[in-house]
Amino acid sequence: MATVSMDQVNKVYPNGFHAVHDLSLEVADGEFMVLVGPSGCGKTTALRMVAGLEDISSGIMRIGGREVNDLSPKERDIAMVFQNYALYPHMTVAENIGFALKLRKLPKDKLDAKVKETAEILGLTEWLNRKPGQLSGGQRQRVAMGRAIVREPSVFLMDEPLSNLDAKLRVQMRAEVSRIQRRIGVATVYVTHDQIEAMTMGDRVAVMRAGVLQQCDNPQVLYDRPDNIFVAAFIGSPAMNLYEGTVGDGGRSVRLGSQQIDLPGAVTVAHSGLASYAGKTVVVGLRPEHLPAAQAGLTGPVLTGDVDLVEALGSELVIHFTIDAKRVVAEGAHAADAEAATISGEGVARVDPRTPAKAGDRLNFAIDTDGIQFFDPDSGAAIWT
Amino acid sequence: MTTISSAAEQPTAAVVAPPAGRPDVNRKKLARLGWLFSAPALIFVAAVTIFPILYSIVMSLRNVQVSGGGIKMTGITGANYSAVIHSSVWRYALGFTILYTVVTVLVELVLGTVIALVLERLTAGRGWMMALLLIPWSMITVINAEVWAYIYQPTYGVLQAIFQAVGLGHPDVLGTPTPAIIGMMVADIWKTTPFVAIIVLAGLVMLPGDVYEAAEIDGASGWYTFWHVTLPLLRPTLALAVMFRVLQAFGLFDLPFVLTNGGPGTSTTSLAVLGYQAMFKNLDFGGGAAVASTTALLVLIGCLISLRTFRVQVGKENT
Amino acid sequence: MRNRKRTGWHRFINGVNISTFLVALFIGLPLYWLIASSFKTPVNIGVDPPQYFPDPLSLSNYKSAFVDYDFGIYFRNSLIVTLIATALVLFLGTLAGYALGRLPMRGKFPMLVALLMISVFPEIALIAPLYILLEHLHWLDSFQALIIPDTAFNVPFAIWILRNYMLGIPKEMEETGRIDGASPLRTVWSIILPQALPGIFTAGIFCFTACWTEFLMALTFNSSNNFRTIPVGVSLFGTIDITPFAQIFAAAVIATVPIGILVFIFRKFVISGLTSGAVKG
Repeated sequence: MATVSMDQVNKVYPNGFHAVHDLSLEVADGEFMVLVGPSGCGKTTALRMVAGLEDISSGIMRIGGREVNDLSPKERDIAMVFQNYALYPHMTVAENIGFALKLRKLPKDKLDAKVKETAEILGLTEWLNRKPGQLSGGQRQRVAMGRAIVREPSVFLMDEPLSNLDAKLRVQMRAEVSRIQRRIGVATVYVTHDQIEAMTMGDRVAVMRAGVLQQCDNPQVLYDRPDNIFVAAFIGSPAMNLYEGTVGDGGRSVRLGSQQIDLPGAVTVAHSGLASYAGKTVVVGLRPEHLPAAQAGLTGPVLTGDVDLVEALGSELVIHFTIDAKRVVAEGAHAADAEAATISGEGVARVDPRTPAKAGDRLNFAIDTDGIQFFDPDSGAAIWT
Repeated sequence: MTTISSAAEQPTAAVVAPPAGRPDVNRKKLARLGWLFSAPALIFVAAVTIFPILYSIVMSLRNVQVSGGGIKMTGITGANYSAVIHSSVWRYALGFTILYTVVTVLVELVLGTVIALVLERLTAGRGWMMALLLIPWSMITVINAEVWAYIYQPTYGVLQAIFQAVGLGHPDVLGTPTPAIIGMMVADIWKTTPFVAIIVLAGLVMLPGDVYEAAEIDGASGWYTFWHVTLPLLRPTLALAVMFRVLQAFGLFDLPFVLTNGGPGTSTTSLAVLGYQAMFKNLDFGGGAAVASTTALLVLIGCLISLRTFRVQVGKENT
Repeated sequence: MRNRKRTGWHRFINGVNISTFLVALFIGLPLYWLIASSFKTPVNIGVDPPQYFPDPLSLSNYKSAFVDYDFGIYFRNSLIVTLIATALVLFLGTLAGYALGRLPMRGKFPMLVALLMISVFPEIALIAPLYILLEHLHWLDSFQALIIPDTAFNVPFAIWILRNYMLGIPKEMEETGRIDGASPLRTVWSIILPQALPGIFTAGIFCFTACWTEFLMALTFNSSNNFRTIPVGVSLFGTIDITPFAQIFAAAVIATVPIGILVFIFRKFVISGLTSGAVKG
């Protein structure tokens, strides 16, 4: 049981690559902390520095209050689950789980008891004598978990442990990993590139980009009040619609292309900083679920778009539409392919499945103005008061 | 479409000058461990190969006298090399070695590729054929030489019996210069073609099958597919195999030593046989060392050229 | 293959099978000739036209090879030299192959290229200085005279094979070991070695074959009959005038059997070794 604390931690590789930049992060005892970001953002490097597999160039790393910069991995009392599990193919499941205990010279009977207990937690009891090669992907993942928890470490590290599983199993294991983590109650640092995993599993989520921590908070705050355009675009699926807009007089309205949107009083108060942008360009963010189809007789602000495509998911319709405003892409938040596929002015809305909409229609979306976000176009920072 | 990078004041993870960070202890520790682990092997190899190579070069540049008490080296001289280069025997041996290398490697390559293509289509018994192919590869060369010596034997060998039966007389293969060279090449080809075939076959099996399906759908003929799909994909495998075969054939010694002892006359005297005879028959260590050093130099040049040519393949493995 | 239905034995007659048969004949006939001739009597081996099938089948050559030509000594010597050299090569090669394959060493690539060159370096260039060196050490006519150079010449190739295998093992294996608290030696022994076993078999069989067939050094360094290996012994059977093919072939069959069995059992590893990037005949 311990906390993890990073204080201005840097990682600079010998070739000059600055992988992690002044990272400061506190993981409370028992907390499930998720590091998320696109590939190459430094999240795995940060995790490996906690593990001691990677040297710390500068800054201080503490585990349980003790500085561990110069400690070897085994002295840090951590356990780690790797993306490819790194199960020893020549050992049985029981031997894999018990290897670390064997290295600590635990007596045989105690070792066996612990391995059995761990296997029970993970539902692996009947597979104990199999080799990893004979197991399914999900079972291997469980063995990797077992190998980590059997040691009762003070910190639990996981590096994309679910990304080798197929989509259905991943959803299932997501819940299971969370359940096990709650049960053993050990501070956990979990690295993933999948924002859904981050949102569903983390007590708190730290979003990283290009070696820099963007924001760290609980998932709902990240979603509702992203600090900058990158976090806004990275968190949420389908992603937030981002348009260039021109702020009207006193920050009371915003113009998207040819459409003028009047902001209610509550919004102008919450985003009072907008007033100083009057006449200037900002980035306007609208999440797809904040654009329901407008009902007849609606009075609030409306966005009108040309429907390109309608995807019926059963529970809702995902409508791809086009407006004449300029679409904004947050650099690095999405894969290059997705960015390339984004057509100028395209947007996405999630509407009631009974909405009569088809490609070619012109549709009015009611704007849920509580969810509207504004960002500075130069710094990318969110505009609040 | 506009692209905005968030938080402009934040530096991106580009290449920046390394700050005064602490040295990478992990890497250093592991590197030290690496040298510790490889030192025994590297020192051993260096002691037994590099030292003698240098010694051999020194010896080739000095006057060497062999007496009952050992060898004595005096002065520094280029005489050994000039004697070697001006010797017609050496020139012949060089020419013979090159001819032998080129012909055997070429034949082995073509024949081996054909065999591999045949075996690739074999549906049953491929494992057994592979096992059969491995026997000549693993056979002691001296024994291979004895088998062919018996086949070529001029009075009771099976070859002369067959020639006689079809009315071609009594060939004395190993007693006549040109047939001796050809006969030796046949023995070499018998032993080494299977090796080439196995490599090519393994290379063929590893080729992605969908490439063939795509070629077939595109309407390519068998020959066309072979020339324009199979062969280019096999090139790295073939190239490395050829390199090793060439360098190895250049050191030809066992076959001529047992089959013909370099004869008749000097017609099958390879560079290695010449060097051996100079050193251990004529006790001319300086001259022998000069022959050996020039051979080594030629091999080294060949190796460097091959490495340059195939750099892509070797380099790729390092990443 | 285009499937035209054929019936009975006719369906076995096609281009592929005929070509395979020819290949088998090309390789098999000299082998048959070797084995068949080893059973001919010393008289029958020299008759013209030759006996295509030995009649009578005689085992006397096998006995004679041991009794009259000291084949037992050569076989023992070959076995001693080959086994010790192979063990040494595997020990040195595994450690170095692990280091060069998996540890972050500066300058390891030039090192690997140098090793590659040494592994194809012609023996003839080294034989004289090694001879002089061994003479100084009074090691001519000894097992170490062959074991040491055999080991040195085969280590580079073994390193290449093993390095290529080591490269294929995920680096997380070691990292897990480090986190679990295994020492570096323990990591190599309990985690890496078991996974590199196919590579070790491959390197082993190549080294065994190379040492078993080595001729030039064995011929030069050990002139005493008590230290001759099979290739040298067999090449010196008989006198200048008479080549006792019958006994030679009997010895040859016995010398080919152990390696043949090894190669057959481990053929999977041999083939993977031949194609693992570094290729050597």
